[in-house]
Order: sequence, then structure tokens, then C-alpha cells
Amino acid sequence: MLEIQHLHKVYPNGTVALTDVNFTVNDGEFLVVIGLSGSGKSTLLRCINRLIEPTQGKIIWDGVDITAASGADMRRIRRQIGMVFQQFNLVKRSSVITNVLAGRLGYANPWASLLGMWPKEERDRALRALNRVGIADKASARADALSGGQQQRVGIARALMQEPKLILADEPVASLDPVLSHSILQYLEQLNRDEKITAVCSLHFLDLVHRYATRVIALKDGKVVFEGLPQEIDRARFKEIYGEEAVEVRAGMAA
Amino acid sequence: MNTTRRPALPSSLRTTLIALGVIAAYVIAWRGSQVDFPRLFRALATNEKGRELLGDFMTPDIVARDIAPVTLQLPLPVPCGSAPEGEVAASGPRLAPSVACAELREKFTVEGFDLAPNTELQLRWRLPSDQYFPGPFIATDADGHFSAEFEARPIVATKDGVPSKIEVELLVPVGNPKPSPAVYEVLDAIVITIFMALMATTAAVIIAAPLSFLAASNITKHGPMGAAMYYLTRTFFSVFRSYEPIILAMLFAFWVGFGAFAGVIALAIITIASLGKLYSEAVEHIDPGPMEALTATGANRIQVILYGVIPQIVPDFLSFTIYHWDINVRISTIIGYVGGGGIGYYLAQMINTSQNNKAGTAIWAIVIVVWAMDFLSAEIRKRLT
Repeated sequence: MLEIQHLHKVYPNGTVALTDVNFTVNDGEFLVVIGLSGSGKSTLLRCINRLIEPTQGKIIWDGVDITAASGADMRRIRRQIGMVFQQFNLVKRSSVITNVLAGRLGYANPWASLLGMWPKEERDRALRALNRVGIADKASARADALSGGQQQRVGIARALMQEPKLILADEPVASLDPVLSHSILQYLEQLNRDEKITAVCSLHFLDLVHRYATRVIALKDGKVVFEGLPQEIDRARFKEIYGEEAVEVRAGMAA
Repeated sequence: MNTTRRPALPSSLRTTLIALGVIAAYVIAWRGSQVDFPRLFRALATNEKGRELLGDFMTPDIVARDIAPVTLQLPLPVPCGSAPEGEVAASGPRLAPSVACAELREKFTVEGFDLAPNTELQLRWRLPSDQYFPGPFIATDADGHFSAEFEARPIVATKDGVPSKIEVELLVPVGNPKPSPAVYEVLDAIVITIFMALMATTAAVIIAAPLSFLAASNITKHGPMGAAMYYLTRTFFSVFRSYEPIILAMLFAFWVGFGAFAGVIALAIITIASLGKLYSEAVEHIDPGPMEALTATGANRIQVILYGVIPQIVPDFLSFTIYHWDINVRISTIIGYVGGGGIGYYLAQMINTSQNNKAGTAIWAIVIVVWAMDFLSAEIRKRLT
């Protein structure tokens, strides 16, 4: 169980990104975070694995206070939390397999990993992860030779290497052609359903939210303005979250 | 508070003032640099020494031929009819006496054609006994021609039907043209220069590459210790980048003695500063995404740098390194000139000892090598993406 308690984030330049955010994610949930660009979704996700240091508040995961963990403890916590990014964040000049293996760095022998030496079992694990997202044949290609959708699948394979209990996905399909959205989200859904990996995922398109979310929270100006089931977001709620001028857009209509 | 704003100058007046200032600056610059274009052409016409020097530089010492002593002989019976007369060759190096034979004590003229120009020779008799009888020393002119008085002394008389011969011994080039010794000397020296530059560049890379991470704000600038390291390395780079290589080379020459080593140390220090700056900028311009992603997997800082940063900067690092090696070949030529060894030092020596054709060889070699390095480094950098 992941508990976010009174989370605040103020950036050094004075921007208030999160104000008193409270919610709980139960194990096995597919929680979707929605809200306009700049509403604090990315900051919230990055506070959970402390890529961004919260200003105030606590994040408690399975009884452990993540916000209090230091150094090596934090790295041990992070290696159980996979993360998928809007821009994929692959090392473009490295091979696909190296990118995937990098997901295992938190577990690897530090010295061997610095020399680029990986035991056969880890290489096999990486190939299995790639196979799972359907691109095992691309293992030795350079990451930037892949299409956007394929790169995001490499990103998922990298997260899989961590054998995560929780996956944070920050707008995983926002940089992709809308028709590819489902192919990526289906992989996340599978992991969530089959492996009981809890997912916290930020999304833009409401039809995707309806399709994948088991629960939704909405952020507006760094505050939680809605928490509930996807079906509860009606027209009125939608206007509340996105503002009066917003019009719903559908993604993946071709899918 | 009484804020009386001064009325701004009308823009036309301001423009005029700026224009006047610029003109004044160029007038001073013109006078300071003693510009005298007519002198360029006047000097060409009047400065014979300079013209000769330029001519020597333009005709480098590149080919040489082996020199071998050659003896030219021509039978000259004394007295006439005592033996068959010699036949004067139609062309090539040859001796041509004014008479085909001579009576005792007769004086005649001997001319030589197509011999080595501007050379001193000795005209002599080869006697029937195969001993020789010396004659006058003579010098050929620029065309390899001489003309000398000779006398048929009694000792040169024909003996047993064998006539004496008039003879000169001269050195003539033989065999095919081949690279002159200067070419080998220059090759030696320029290879030293290229490897001086390579040594300095390599040493600099080994030191600058790790330091550059400390001087990259996206890697180091976390916490007070990091910030201190960041500003320290930055300052080090800026200070040493501003040193003129030649001045540093002279400082080290006083320390470790003149020679290639002083040059290499000076060059290495400047290269560390310069490459360090370039490298750290490359590190600062990487895509931060992979670093973020790898941090999120639980990798430690060194793993993040190795897997997330280094693959991104390799092409830039290589490109800057090759580029700097190219620059260092030029700089080490100059450093050599003030005593740092290599081709620069060779050039200085040749000019100081007025061996201007050899200096010419060195100058051409520098031009060719610098051009080739420039071309090669550009080609290699084009391929790095």
C-alpha cells in the first residue's frame, strides 16, 4: 500500500507544484492521475521515487517512509519501483539490450556493471523482457533506430528488469501517435493484472482513463480536486478538472 | 526623490558620435600597425637579400643525386705525329684543347664544357708512366665552362708510342635523383612534432576527461561540496586556458631545460584546460532523460554516469580530442621554434645557420602536415555522430 500524506512541493524558484496532496493506492490498483499540463502530475510521480525531493509531507510504502530513506536505502527502494517516461528516456546511442540491462543496475554487482560485464542469466532476463514486449529481434539495434512505439516498449522492458512491485508511468503515450496508445497501455495493463504490479499512471485522454483506470485522481494547480472511479467523471466533473474551455478529445479512435 | 531625467541625445547625433569614435579607433590602429602597402611592392624590387631568401624558401632542398669523382681525359700527342690524336666529344662533359697535338714547349688553351658549375678543378697531365704532372687550378663558371693556358713540358712527351693525356677530375652527380638528407631530417623532426602533440593531447585527455565531469553543473552542482568542486575546476580551466602556449613553454624550458619535454608539458596543460572546458560543456548539453531514468532504477551515481552519460558524450569527446590534436600540431611547431624540439626547432636552426633551402623544406613540410591533419580531422569528425 502506498500512502501519500500531506505532500507539498515548492520549487526553489517559488513555483508551487503540489499543495497538501493526500491519497492512498492499494496493491494491485491501476491508478490514473489526470489534470492539465502543469497541474503537478509529473512532480507527484517523481516525488514518489524521490527523483524530485518533496518539500513537506510523507510517502509511506508498505510501512516504510520513503521520504526518510537515505542513500543506499533509497536506491534499494527505487529498484523495486519501475518508471516509464513520456520521452522514453533511453540512451539513444546504446543498444536496446544495454538499455534494458541498465534497468538491472540496482541489483547488479557494482564493479562488474562498471566494466559492462553482465552474467548470462541477466542477459537472458533482458531477452525475456524484450520478448514480452514483442521486440526481442531488436536487441542489438541502436535504441534511436527504433520507432517511438518500439522505444517505449524498450522503456517498459527496462522497468520489467527491476522486477518492480510498483510502476510509475509519466504520460507514457503522450509522445506517441494516438493509435499506438493502446498497444503500450495494454502491456502496462497486463503487468498490472497478471503480475499484480501496482501502477500509477498519468494520462491525458479521458477515453484511455475510462478504459484502463481502476481508480482516478485529478490534480488542478497542485491540488487533488477529484478522487474516485473513472465512471464518476461526467461532463460537470470534466469541466471542473480541465476548466470551462476544455473539450474532450478522444485518443486511439482507430484502435 | 528628485528624478530629473536627462533628455536622451537625438539618435542622429548619437549615431554620428559612435561613427566618429569608430573612425578614430581605426585611425589609431592604422598608424599603430605602420601600414605601408607600397612598401610591399617596393621591397620586392629593391630588397635583393629578402628576394633571395624567399627564393630559397620556394625552392626547398628535396632531391639529391649521388656525387662520384669522374676523370675526363683526352690524349694529346707531344710532339705532333708521335701518336694518334684524341677526338673531342660532341657533347656532355668534355675537354677541348685549342690544338689536337703540340710541339715541345708549345703553349695552348684548354677549354672545358658542361662540367659542374662554379667548382674548382685542377688541370693536369696523365703521363705514359701513369703518374700525373700537375697543372693550374681553375674554376668553372656558372655554365660549367672554363678556359686555361697549358704548356707541353718535355716530361709529357710521347714514350714508346703512348701519348700523355690532359685530364681533369671532377665530381658529377650520378644515378637517379633521390630524397636529399634534408628530407630525412625534416621527416624525423616533423614526426617528433606530431608525436609531441599526440603525447600532450593524450596526457591532457586522461586528466581533462574526469575533471570535466566535476566542471559540469548537471553532474556536480549538488550541495556545497559539489558546488565548490564545480567552481574550482571551472576556475582552473579558465585560468590556464588564457595562458599563451609559447609563454608557458618558455617557463617550463627554464624549469626542465629546453627541448621537447618542456614543450609537451606546456602543451598538455593548455590542452587540459581547453579540452576540459569543451568536454564539460558537452556533458552539460546531454539529454538528462537517461540519467533520470537510470537513477529511478536504483543505480548509483557512478553507474548512472557510466550508462547514462558517457554513451551520449563519446562522439563529442572524440571529435574535440581529434580537433585538439590537430591544433596541437600547429602549436607545437611554434613552441619548437622557441626551443621546444621538433620541426619548429629544426626550422629555427636552419634559418639561424642560413641553410635556407633546408628551411624551405621544413616550411613546406609544416604546410603539408598541417593541411593533412586539418583535412583528416575534419573527415573523421564528419563520421562521428
